[in-house]
Amino acid sequence: MLRLSLTTFREHRRLFAGAIVAVALGVALLQSSLLVMAAISDAEIPSSPSGQARERLRDAYAGAATLLGMTVLLAAFLTLFIVSSTFAFTVAQRRKELALLRLAGGSRPQLLGLLLCEASLLGTAGTAAGVLIGVPATWAQSWSLVAFGFLPAGFSPRLDGGIMLASACTGLGVALLGVLAAARRAAAVRPLEALRDAGRAARVMTVSRWFFGTSLLALTIWMIWVGQASEVLGAIVIALGVSVLGAVALSLLSPLVVPLAGRLFGLALRPSTLGELAQANLRDAVRRSASTAAPLIVLVALVLGLTGTLDSLATMVGEEQRRIVAGDLVVDSTGAAAARIAEVPGVAVASVQSTVPVSVTGRHRRAGRAYRRTVYSGVVAVDPPAYGRTHRPVARAGSLDRLHGRTIAVAPGQSEEGWRLGDVVTARVGGRRMRLRIVALLPPTLENGADNFLVPRELVPDAIAARAPAQTVVQVAPGTDPAAVAGRLRAAGIGTVRTVARWAGDRAAAEERGNMAIFAVLMGLGGLYAAVAVVNAVIIAGAERTAEFAVARVTGLSRPQVVRMALIEASAVTAIGLALGGLVAAGALAGIAAAGVRAVGVPLVAVPWTPLLLLVPGAFLVTGAASVWSTLSATRRRPVTLVTARE
Amino acid sequence: MEARPADGIDFMMVGRTGPERPAGVSRIVVELRGVTREYGAGQARIRALDGVHIGFPAGSWTAVMGPSGSGKSTLMHCAAGLEKVSDGRVFLLGRDITSAPDGVLTALRRRTVGFVFQSFNLIGSLSAEQNVALPLRLARSGVSRKDVRDVLAAVGLGDRLGHRPRELSGGQQQRVAIARAMVTRPEVLFADEPTGALDSASARTVLGLMRGLVDAGGQTIVMVTHDPAAAASADAVVFLSDGRVVDRLVRPSVGAVADRLARLEG
Repeated sequence: MLRLSLTTFREHRRLFAGAIVAVALGVALLQSSLLVMAAISDAEIPSSPSGQARERLRDAYAGAATLLGMTVLLAAFLTLFIVSSTFAFTVAQRRKELALLRLAGGSRPQLLGLLLCEASLLGTAGTAAGVLIGVPATWAQSWSLVAFGFLPAGFSPRLDGGIMLASACTGLGVALLGVLAAARRAAAVRPLEALRDAGRAARVMTVSRWFFGTSLLALTIWMIWVGQASEVLGAIVIALGVSVLGAVALSLLSPLVVPLAGRLFGLALRPSTLGELAQANLRDAVRRSASTAAPLIVLVALVLGLTGTLDSLATMVGEEQRRIVAGDLVVDSTGAAAARIAEVPGVAVASVQSTVPVSVTGRHRRAGRAYRRTVYSGVVAVDPPAYGRTHRPVARAGSLDRLHGRTIAVAPGQSEEGWRLGDVVTARVGGRRMRLRIVALLPPTLENGADNFLVPRELVPDAIAARAPAQTVVQVAPGTDPAAVAGRLRAAGIGTVRTVARWAGDRAAAEERGNMAIFAVLMGLGGLYAAVAVVNAVIIAGAERTAEFAVARVTGLSRPQVVRMALIEASAVTAIGLALGGLVAAGALAGIAAAGVRAVGVPLVAVPWTPLLLLVPGAFLVTGAASVWSTLSATRRRPVTLVTARE
Repeated sequence: MEARPADGIDFMMVGRTGPERPAGVSRIVVELRGVTREYGAGQARIRALDGVHIGFPAGSWTAVMGPSGSGKSTLMHCAAGLEKVSDGRVFLLGRDITSAPDGVLTALRRRTVGFVFQSFNLIGSLSAEQNVALPLRLARSGVSRKDVRDVLAAVGLGDRLGHRPRELSGGQQQRVAIARAMVTRPEVLFADEPTGALDSASARTVLGLMRGLVDAGGQTIVMVTHDPAAAASADAVVFLSDGRVVDRLVRPSVGAVADRLARLEG
C-alpha cells in the first residue's frame, strides 16, 4: 500500500502541492511561535527597574504570548482547512481511479489505508520543509515582535529539540486529521463507478454541509437582527460573532450561493461568447467555483468584519472622550509647566492631570474570591473640583466630591476589576506608604489603557508632581476665542496644545494603531493562507480541465481565447467571493451602525478602506495569475493528442 | 432457435463439449434466479431487468446482446455483484451473493471474478507491469514478477512492461487490462464491450486472447457487446429486450447475430 501510495502521490503531486505548502507554513509557524513563547516564559523579569517598568514588561510579554497563541490556533485551523479541502477535492477527482481499485479487489480498509498513506507522505514532506523554514521563521518572528513593540529589544529565542519534535508531530497529525473525512468518502466509492464513463458527479452539498451551513446562516441572521437593538459593547461582540459565523456559514453553503451569484454575473457576461462560456462553466463546475470562492469569502468577511469592528470601536473611543471631556483645549506638558496654565489670560478652568509614579496595593474581589494585587501604572493626580468641572462622567458609586484627604477614586481602567467602595488600599508615593479609602467608582470606558486610579493632588509631593507628565484640560473664559488662548499657551512654551476634538481624534487613532499592530500579524497570516488555498483550488481545478480545454480548442477556440475564458471565469468567481465576504462584513457592521445611531445619533462605523483597497486588487491578481498559469500549462500539449488519448 | 419466454432457468449449456465434459453436466458458475432490478421510484421507476432467469456454465463464453437500454449492462453488473438486485437471487460458484456484505464481494473480486471494460480502466499512474500486479498486491498474495511478466508476454506486451497507459495504444491498453484479469486466474471474467474502442485488427487480437482463456484456461466469460463480430466469437449469444431474455443462439455466426439484432432493434 505504501508503494502504491508513493506512485499515486507522485502522480497527483500537483494536487497536493498547495496542501504541502500549507502544512509547511503551519509547522514553521507553530514551531517559531512555540519557541518564542517558550523564550517568553523563560525570560526573567529583571528585578532592578521600577515596578512601573516591570509591569510594562510583564504586560508586553503577556500581550506577545496572547498574540502568538492566536497565531498558533489560526495557523492550525487554516492548515487543517486547506489539507481537508485538498483531499476532498482529490477524492472527488479520483473517484474513478478509486472505484477501479475497488474493482481490482481493493477492500474499504485498503482504500482508507491508501489515503492515510498519501496523507502521511504529504504530512512528512510538508513537516520536513516546515521544520527547516521554522528556524529562520523564529528569528523573523521575534524580530518583528520587537519591531512592532510587543517585545523588548534584545529578545532572542533559543532552538529547542522538544518543541521542534512537537511541531513536527502536530504537522503530521494535522495532515492525517485533514484526510479523515475525505478517506471516509473515498471508502464509500462503489466499484461500479469505475464503469461509468464520466463517473457520477459526487454530491458537493453533503448532509453535514447543509446542516451546519443553514444553521450557522440562521444564527448569523438572527445575530444581525439582535444586533440592531443592542448596546454599543453588545453590538461589537455581535459584530465579531457575525463576521466569524457568517464567513463559515457562507463558505459551507458556497456550492449553493456561488452559482446563484454567478447567475447575476451572467447577465453582464452573456453578451460576449467567451463570457457566455465562462458563465456556463461557472454554473456547471460547482465544486471548482465554490472552492475558489470559499477562502475568499472567509478572508474578506474576517478581515473587513474584524478590522471594521475594531476601527469602529476606536472611533467610538474618540467620540466617547469628546463627550466625557468638557473643555476647549488639551495641553500636554510636564507637571511643573502645567502649574502655570491657570495664570494664562483667558483660561477659566485648568484641570491638571499628572500621571504619577504611585503604586496602589489592595484587595479586589472577583468571582467571589478576593486577591491582593498591586497596580503600578495609570495613577493620576487631579485637582478634584477642576476635574469635576471638566469631566462629565458621574461616578457610578460614591462621589468625586469626597475625593480629598486620604482618599482615592477608581478610574475607568480599573472599573471592572472588583474594587469596592469604602475599602482601604495602600499607596506608595515616593517611598512613603499611606492608606487611602476608596470614595468613588467611575464607570468603565471603551478605551484600552484608560486611567486606573485618581488621587487628590495634595497627596503627591510637589517634587514628584512637577516631574510627572501632565495633561491639562482647559476651559476658556466665556467670550474668549479658544484659538487665541491656544496661541498664548504655545507662546508661553508650556507644552503641546490641541483642541479637545483634535485630541479625541488622536486618541481614536492611537487606539486604531494598537489594534492594527495585532491585526497586521494575524490578518497577514490569514491572507497568506487564503492565497495558498485559492491558488491551490485554481491549480487543482486547472489540472482536471486539460481535456475540457482540449475539446474547446478543437471546437475552434485559440489558445489565448481559452486562457481568456478561464481568466474571465476566475475573475467572476473572485468577484463573487469578494462580494459575499463583503456582505458578511456589512451585516457585522450594520449592528454597530445601529448602536451608534441609538447611542449618539450618528452611525459610528469605520469602513476599513485600507484592507479593502489591499484585498480587492490582491485577490484579483492572485487568482488571475494562478488561472493564467494553470490554463497555459494545461494547454501546452497539442489538443488533438489530448482529445484522442484515453486514460 | 426460437424466442422463448424466460420462465424456466435458461442454462446455456454450451461451451466445451467433449468426452470429459458432456453437454448438460457442466457446472453452473453464475446463476440469476428471477432477478429484477428497478431504478428510481414512483412514476420515474424504470425496470432494467424483469424477472431474468439465466445460468452461465463453467468454461463457456456467452455474449449478451440487445438494443440500448435493454438491460445488458445491468445484467452483467448484477451477476458480478456490483449492483444490488431489487428482487430474485444471484449465485456465484454456488454461493448466494444476493445480499453478501462488502467484505465477501471484495474477496470475490480478488480471486473469483475479473473485469475487462471498453474504456480499459487502467490506473494512469501505474506502469503496465504494476497495473497487472495490482490485484495480486491488493489480495496480499505473493507477487511473482515472473508470473506478471509471463502474462504480459502472453498478451504480446513483453516489451512494454514499464510503459504507462497513456504511452500505449488502445489495443495495447486493452491487452494490459486482459493481462490484469488473467493474472489472478479468475473463474469468471466479466467483459463490457471489450472491443468497443478498438480497431478491427486490435479487436481480433483481443478476442483471440479471450478465446484462449476459455479453451486453454477453462475460464468462464460473460461479455456484453454491440458488435456481431465479437458476439460471433462466443460460444453462445443471449438477446435481451426490455429487461427480459427474449432469444438465444448457440455457436453463432456473424450473419445470424446481426439478423437477430436487427429484428430486435427494428
